[in-house]
Amino acid sequence: MLKKILFRDSKNLQFIFATAGALIGLTALLLSLQLIMDVQSFHSNEEELFGPNSVVIQKKVTKLTSIGMNSTEFSPKDIQSLKDKEFITDVAPFKSADFKVGISEVEGDGLPHFYADMFFQAIPNRFMDINVDWDWNENSEFIPIVLPRDFIMIINYGFAQSQGMNQISEELLMAARLTIYVDGNGKKTQMIGRVVGFSHKISSILVPEAFLTHANGIYGNGQIKNPSRIFITTKDDSYGELDDLMDEMNLDINKSAIDVAKIKTIIAVVIGIFGIASVLIMLLSLLGFVQYSQLVLSKASYEIKTLLRLGYSIKSIVNTFIKQLSITFGIITVSAIAIMFFVKIVVVNTWLEDNGINIEGSSLITTIAVAILCFGLFIVSNYLNIKKTVNKLGDA
Amino acid sequence: MKLEFKNVMPFPLKEYQHDNSSVWKSGFSLEFPKKVLLNASSGKGKSTFVSTVYGLRKDYTGTVLLDDKPIDTLSIHDWIELRRTKLSAIFQDLQLFPELSVWENLILKNQLTNHKNESEIESMLVMLGIGDKKEQKCGTLSLGQQQRVAIIRSLLQPFDLLLMDEPFSHLDEGNAKIALDLIAKETDLNGGGFVLTSLGSYHGFTYDHELKL
Repeated sequence: MLKKILFRDSKNLQFIFATAGALIGLTALLLSLQLIMDVQSFHSNEEELFGPNSVVIQKKVTKLTSIGMNSTEFSPKDIQSLKDKEFITDVAPFKSADFKVGISEVEGDGLPHFYADMFFQAIPNRFMDINVDWDWNENSEFIPIVLPRDFIMIINYGFAQSQGMNQISEELLMAARLTIYVDGNGKKTQMIGRVVGFSHKISSILVPEAFLTHANGIYGNGQIKNPSRIFITTKDDSYGELDDLMDEMNLDINKSAIDVAKIKTIIAVVIGIFGIASVLIMLLSLLGFVQYSQLVLSKASYEIKTLLRLGYSIKSIVNTFIKQLSITFGIITVSAIAIMFFVKIVVVNTWLEDNGINIEGSSLITTIAVAILCFGLFIVSNYLNIKKTVNKLGDA
Repeated sequence: MKLEFKNVMPFPLKEYQHDNSSVWKSGFSLEFPKKVLLNASSGKGKSTFVSTVYGLRKDYTGTVLLDDKPIDTLSIHDWIELRRTKLSAIFQDLQLFPELSVWENLILKNQLTNHKNESEIESMLVMLGIGDKKEQKCGTLSLGQQQRVAIIRSLLQPFDLLLMDEPFSHLDEGNAKIALDLIAKETDLNGGGFVLTSLGSYHGFTYDHELKL
């Protein structure tokens, strides 16, 4: 009966506006939050191999370089200055093989006959985030090798056709063993290698650092002193600084490697702005609802006063209000979650799939937790406001 | 319950010339159960008296004591507890809920106190001649009928002191007598007392004490 007295003619236009405002605000907030998290979870396959913020840098080869007037090597001073940059979190020079390398098939393993001169490079193991056995020691059966993905493209669609060779699938190449010819420091030997992965990001032929250290010790000619390529890891969203650094040091960077991070950052900024707007809308609608409950309270001020005169406790009156508002805002919260879910599944995911973008999708738990937090914030702010008003009416 | 006035003077009545016998000047101390008549002409502060004792007005100087406790030290929670168990009132403006039926108005109070059962409430309605108005909205009743609803409502709780502000102003003498008999009977059942304010009529009743304003 308290509800009947206190909520007399309260289902009016004001109520509809307050409800619609809260629903729109909360839905916008949840949706932008969910989208931000989805974008953050977006990875291309390559990034998983080397981490999202790692790029290879090298100095540009110019006319002067070609005639020997300047060098593409990074001096210890260059490396130190890279380490000093605030946005660079990790610097790892490439180690190069200081000996001649040749490569050919192992007969009987299914590859056509070929021979090619090669080179090896290595980066520290911490950058090699791949699911294969990358450890090497002197007793290992073979030397694991990571090839640039373009390499197999060149062989299959250029070299093989012009030489009348069969094309080689990635699977076949990874299953077959390779003969490695090593020649340096007056010594020659043959070893067995095996391709264990491919990379878009690094246009180099990579072997484990342990192997290269070992082999350089035996076959090294002592010619290579400074590295010419460096692997760096940058902080999130620092491609702007990276751009400046490229100009400053005349660097060459595989642009596509940082494009994903760049696009992610731009999208995150755009959605972030939307998110801030949503928070503001949410707060505004919260105020609208507090104002609505204030209106209901002032409309029911005679009833509240009379109930207090009859001996009804402040608590029972406040609880009647809060119970009713909890139901209303509970429905709003659940609706907002449902709309957010619908838009994500039906509209956003369909659009992404149509455009060939594959997003793992982040969990809904955070978003739902935020919705519940908003619900709690709403109930607490209304509770405090109602309690204060009822107390005031009781004292009057 | 003990009710005591010490130098109590409501702000609005300050400029007035009060008789020496007026409670505003001389004060008083009464130990209830007692049936008290507060007789005064219009404008002397009858409603102010009731509102002050019921804790609704605080615009006065001096001290009002209930059971030797100054009432301005009571919190809203203390007042609510008193209004359930020790203090009841019939206001001049009745303070009913016009959209609720007669029955709902009464049940609203009784469900808080559980003081009477339904048949007891119904027999009170019949006794006061509004037994057929049970389901009617209070807002549609005549003032005299509303007054009787407010009287019954005030009896649906235990009380040491029932404050009545001209409760029979819209009733004829016959109905007023019936209502006052009911009130006196319920007052005795509760072991309590009342203060009845009136514009001069005694309603054919003998009081234990009379106060003047």
